[in-house]
Amino acid sequence: MSGHGFLFANYVPGNSLLHRAPLWLKFLLVLACGMASFLIVDWVVAAAALVLMCALFLLSGAGFRRLFRAVRPVLPVLAAIGLFQWWQLGGPTAARIVLNVLVCIVAASILTATTPVQRLLDGVASLAQPFRRFGADPERFALTIAIMLRSIPFIAGAYSDVRDSARARGLERNPRALILPVFITTVAFARQTGEALAARGLGEHETGEHAPPATPAAGHSLP
Amino acid sequence: MTKTDGTAAATPARRRNPWNATDLGLIAVFAALVAGSALIAAIPVGGLGVPITLQTLAVMLTGLALGPARAFAAVGLYVLLGLAGLPIFSGGRSGLGVLAGPSAGYIIGFVYAATAVGWLTVVVLRRTAGRPGKFRAVLLFAAAMVSSIIFIHGLGILGMMVNAKLDFSKAFLADLVFYPGDVIKNALAVTVALALHKAFPDLLIRRIRTSGTPGGASAAPAVGAQADSRP
Repeated sequence: MSGHGFLFANYVPGNSLLHRAPLWLKFLLVLACGMASFLIVDWVVAAAALVLMCALFLLSGAGFRRLFRAVRPVLPVLAAIGLFQWWQLGGPTAARIVLNVLVCIVAASILTATTPVQRLLDGVASLAQPFRRFGADPERFALTIAIMLRSIPFIAGAYSDVRDSARARGLERNPRALILPVFITTVAFARQTGEALAARGLGEHETGEHAPPATPAAGHSLP
Repeated sequence: MTKTDGTAAATPARRRNPWNATDLGLIAVFAALVAGSALIAAIPVGGLGVPITLQTLAVMLTGLALGPARAFAAVGLYVLLGLAGLPIFSGGRSGLGVLAGPSAGYIIGFVYAATAVGWLTVVVLRRTAGRPGKFRAVLLFAAAMVSSIIFIHGLGILGMMVNAKLDFSKAFLADLVFYPGDVIKNALAVTVALALHKAFPDLLIRRIRTSGTPGGASAAPAVGAQADSRP
């Protein structure tokens, strides 16, 4: 397995207004759309909001194809829901329900299309900052995220290896033979990773170092 | 909504025995395992050829293998990163938009189901410490079923009611489709988990038995060495 390039599939490089907008502002936009989906009762307003969001998305220079790719995975489900609710609740209500979901999805893809993955992850890691005083350690949190990203290609590789060897033994219909070796490999890999971290002095809970000076031993109970 | 998930993934580090590097490795790799299982092409089962994704299997197995706190952190990390925009939800979906879709409840439910089954696993493994075997497997299967019915199916139904505006009976019927697959996956998860605990006896059980001196063997010398070398 080569790298984890697939993780960067959503980002479209550019220098538009949206690319330069701060992360929290874009996050607020997504949050506002989520709230609005509960407040909007008229399908015309929902349609207007959807047009606005699509215009914003296209403003980033990502193009129509990206926009379609962002909503494509949900289209079959939304079509089913829309038809069912049309039959149950009537046209306008069904249109409002479907349009509101689309507004949220387009707003969320504005965020992911205009923000590099690394900045998104930094944003996630900074979520741990406010909990520092309770003993949360943003550095260990960021380290865990980094290990997880590195491990995804390994696990995808383990699945394909195990599938090949099961096929070679004629066991490709046996679910246990297909998945058990993957999980054994995974746990062994996790423990090797942990040992490698410990050997480098990474990931261990550093006592006292990050505690605020006022309460030096807060949250740590050493034997 | 993401805010709560943020606290979810960040807070467990503070309580009782702080996790050591091996725990961090397990949390990170099991989060990656859930992500990988959602992305991998499904297995055709039996002669029917109905594809089943392994995602719920990986979620339940995380609880069965790691216990409540670490399972909560691992699945919470997966959900958090998926919501942040990594395309790691099933079908390559990602981002906060998922929370508006009909499957939002299932994804949130994963976190709680993994935690619940982890907690029940610790209880079952403690109670049946002397006699492993069929009895233990049946109890673990029951634990997995209860957790997934309450949290994955319960919150899944709730998600469909909120986002797709279905009423309860319709959402319940829509959810029924997932039951047969879940029974198979939970049974598989239990056999795999028992094999894992056999292969790695200290994965969860020794942590339970020596809960008085948490992680003593591995953590204490490392901390001591660090303290010595610092000045």
